[in-house]
Amino acid sequence: MNAATSTNQVATFARYGALSVLSFIVVCPLAWLAIASLRPQGEIFQPISEFGWRTFVPSRITLDNYRALLAGDFPVALGNSIFVSLTTMAFGLLVNSLAGFAFAVFEFRGKTLLFVLVIASFMMPFEAIVLPLYVLVNAFGWTNSYKALIVPEIANGMVIFLFRQFFASIPKDFYEAARVDGASWLYIWARIAMPLSWPTIATSCLMIFLRQWDSFFWPVVAASSPEYSVVQVAIARNINFEQHNWGGLFASTNLAILIGTIPFLLLQQFYIRSLIADGLK
Amino acid sequence: MVSSRWVPYLFLAPAILGLLVFRLTPIGIAIGGSLTGTSLMGDVRFVGLENFEVLATDPDFWRSLRVTLIFNLIINPLQVVVAFTLAMLVFEPGRGIGLFRTMLVLPMAVSTGLSAVLFGLFLDANLGPLNGFLHWSGIGAQPFHRSEHQALGTLIGIATWKGAGYWMLFLLAGLYAIPSTVHEAAAIDGATALQRFRFVTLPLMRKPLAFVLVADTAINFLFFAPVYILTTGGPNRSTSVLMFEAYRSAFTFTDFGRSLAISTVLLAIILIIVFLQFRLLRSPEDRA
Repeated sequence: MNAATSTNQVATFARYGALSVLSFIVVCPLAWLAIASLRPQGEIFQPISEFGWRTFVPSRITLDNYRALLAGDFPVALGNSIFVSLTTMAFGLLVNSLAGFAFAVFEFRGKTLLFVLVIASFMMPFEAIVLPLYVLVNAFGWTNSYKALIVPEIANGMVIFLFRQFFASIPKDFYEAARVDGASWLYIWARIAMPLSWPTIATSCLMIFLRQWDSFFWPVVAASSPEYSVVQVAIARNINFEQHNWGGLFASTNLAILIGTIPFLLLQQFYIRSLIADGLK
Repeated sequence: MVSSRWVPYLFLAPAILGLLVFRLTPIGIAIGGSLTGTSLMGDVRFVGLENFEVLATDPDFWRSLRVTLIFNLIINPLQVVVAFTLAMLVFEPGRGIGLFRTMLVLPMAVSTGLSAVLFGLFLDANLGPLNGFLHWSGIGAQPFHRSEHQALGTLIGIATWKGAGYWMLFLLAGLYAIPSTVHEAAAIDGATALQRFRFVTLPLMRKPLAFVLVADTAINFLFFAPVYILTTGGPNRSTSVLMFEAYRSAFTFTDFGRSLAISTVLLAIILIIVFLQFRLLRSPEDRA
């Protein structure tokens, strides 16, 4: 018994030890960036030969880098990203929930084939079609416009799938009863189905938001002019390792990471559950 | 009032139109475009398989294909092993485990592009704290993505930092799906923890592990942002993966025929992978 207990203790110790080390590897770069972005501009460059506790602890904490950042042209990129993300979210929610509703509630010809198209569209990573999509969007004359960033991202197979799963879980009688009362299908979707599906709505919003906020390859290709640059493209353009504006680079990178991670942390329970339980099983 | 028969199609129309135009049509464009060439005068003409024949004799293409294959042969098994280890570590409930799990999945909300920028700074030769630490500890500073020999490994490390927590979630869901009675029965039969892992957990995890391996491979064949941001394919082409080669053909050399030919090669690989994924998800055992 004694041997078993001590084996257990060793196992627990090893487990927490491993988790601590791995979590440290994950969090350390993020924490370092966040702290460094709060240093005075002149102090961000910490030569590697002077490594010590000062590498991680600022002499004083200041928001100067953020103030300078917001006074420059970064707010344009920030505004572009927010506009693109929110617009895609609004249209995406509408378009994909309607489609999910149709798949969940109706029987119609071609349903299986269309559903395979939906599934295949989210199994194929978007990067695979970025270059031919550019050829298409360029032919439309959309390059360097909000249209190029928003329109191709509205229809989203994963979001259609999530809504289909949710709407299919509502008993059919619910919809039928409203039908008998003379409600139109559009009314049933808007007033009965959608209000019930708020966890799916929250997850879908986050999914669309993160996808747009995080996208890089497509904006680099389709809208690289400064006027339409999104945050990721603006940061990638400013990355220059022989530069002097370290404060701007650190602050903008940290800000972009925070805007992506904070909604994720707030909604992670819903998000993760939908991603796995509904999404891929 | 529209007839009910048309309602489903009206509800579906905007989404399906979007998927047809912006997801399916580009596949056609890739294939069609790979069969055309642009002359010096700028007019587009049909050239048949010429782009592919040129690719087949192009050492840059073969070099890039090799880099892509090496990258994938290392990163995919590595990410599966790391993700599985993480899943095993956070699976059993315990004090503070929720916090550890949250920390481990955090990078999935950091975009690949920002991860690249972050590590560009973190690994920097002049101000990066990791090199500070390596210098201080006596190991000596490393060039990381600035060196021909370390660049690919550095990119693999960054992608694993970003991806492991995400794939962990799918494996965790697989672990939760194993009925606890199976483990209890094995424990009563006197199986050690190692035996239970080898003969109970591992066989029952085959499906989720295969799914993660396949889905991860599809994504890693299209690896792009860190190459663009940190190495631009170098040093000495050591990180010039196919996706970057396709991008460079289109936007540096405006050779869309070559670019779309490489895209078509990548699409063919991805379609095979997606097909495998379908097979995995469709099989009845998965529902168990």
